Amino acid sequence: MTGAPVTTLYGLPGMGPFWHWPTLLHFSLVALAGGTALLAALRALGRERFPRRLAWLALGLVALDLVLLWAGSPARFRLTHVYLYLAVRPTSAIWWGAWGLASTAVLTLLLAVGRGPRWLWGGMLSLTATITLVYPGLALAANAARPLWTPLLLAFMPVTGLLVAWGAALLFRQRDLRDPVAGLALGGALLGALYLAGLAFGGAAARAGLAELWREGGTAYLAALLAMLLSPLLVRRWPAAGGLLAVAGAVLARSLIVHIGAFMPPAM
Amino acid sequence: MARYGMAIDLSACVGCAACAVACKLENEVPPGVSRLWIRLEESGRFPELHMQYRPEQCLQCEAPPCVPVCPTGASHVTSDGLVLVDVEKCIACGACIAACPYGARYFDPRGFVSKCTFCEHRLSQGRLPACVETCPTLCRTFGDLDDPHSEVSQAIRAAERVDVLKPELGTRPKVVYLNAPAGFGLRSMGVPR
Repeated sequence: MTGAPVTTLYGLPGMGPFWHWPTLLHFSLVALAGGTALLAALRALGRERFPRRLAWLALGLVALDLVLLWAGSPARFRLTHVYLYLAVRPTSAIWWGAWGLASTAVLTLLLAVGRGPRWLWGGMLSLTATITLVYPGLALAANAARPLWTPLLLAFMPVTGLLVAWGAALLFRQRDLRDPVAGLALGGALLGALYLAGLAFGGAAARAGLAELWREGGTAYLAALLAMLLSPLLVRRWPAAGGLLAVAGAVLARSLIVHIGAFMPPAM
Repeated sequence: MARYGMAIDLSACVGCAACAVACKLENEVPPGVSRLWIRLEESGRFPELHMQYRPEQCLQCEAPPCVPVCPTGASHVTSDGLVLVDVEKCIACGACIAACPYGARYFDPRGFVSKCTFCEHRLSQGRLPACVETCPTLCRTFGDLDDPHSEVSQAIRAAERVDVLKPELGTRPKVVYLNAPAGFGLRSMGVPR
């Protein structure tokens, strides 16, 4: 026997994964929905003719995300719970996310049908779409006991979320987004590298988290950062390829952080 | 109002898991999940081998990180300081499971989050939690932490050492460990007053 402690358990602490593939998919879909809604809001605030199909697309993505959340919930057949969100609970990131998604759906619908003042709906939508993009990072960073969900995610999640949506828009010939996508991709890669550095130079729990990230998906995470780093080189000449690479990198990095980030060092 | 708390004397715990079994039966905890479990840690090298049993459960924190993250108010603190889940309000989003630093919460297959309640249904009848009543070595004491004459307050005062799990997180657990073998994982936090 070595000097290292050996731990066994009678009964099970709740240390296993608690968010499964629907939640992982949600973290990408909410980025796509929020980023598309923000793009719609910015177009609505512009002087050019507003592309209403963009609002329909954002509405569809929000609806798809809400359906996914409902289908993935163990409480999905107790629909009366929807009214519980009417209570004001600003300390809960998920409460913000629920309201962000619901109000984004209403505003994109108003823009899609072309009713009411476009500038007002666009201004309000820019706010609710931003909430939708920010809330995943807030929901993760709130968990102080999970070393992989650091406060840096408050920046990483919105940046990569916007990258997912605007990178995907490059596939649909939104060529004016080439420079923003390049900037977001570089920002995502930089924040992703800073995230690793923060873990490496953090305390014992952070280093244990880094070891877990490396063991469970280190190569994939580095590949995701590399994809984000290389995509700006492609977006000028081949926007669709550059966009696709950026989306792949951002989705992969986000999914790894959400999935492996559930890791928690045991209470010692 | 009482401020319920529990003390577990690790020098008396023999790891028999009677508390875990009693909890499972009393609260009809589904298969595959637990409200209470026993961590067994072996360390050292012959002839200096050490073994420590540590029962773990929801620590009924005074500053519970699971409560503010709940979007519907299902996770709440009662006037007696119990951290509970209102299953009628729970939407099983898992935010509280993510926030709990102790792995004390789980998804009940019936569609809500659950955890140790200090056997609230028994307390309302003037009875002790099932784990306390069952323990054959009497290593668990329970009562009002605000009452200096309560059994739990006296046990904490008499202990040579008092610890809580992860004190650096500032959750101020109301389940404390007494007389942990020196040099082992728990970290001292002083007596909760």
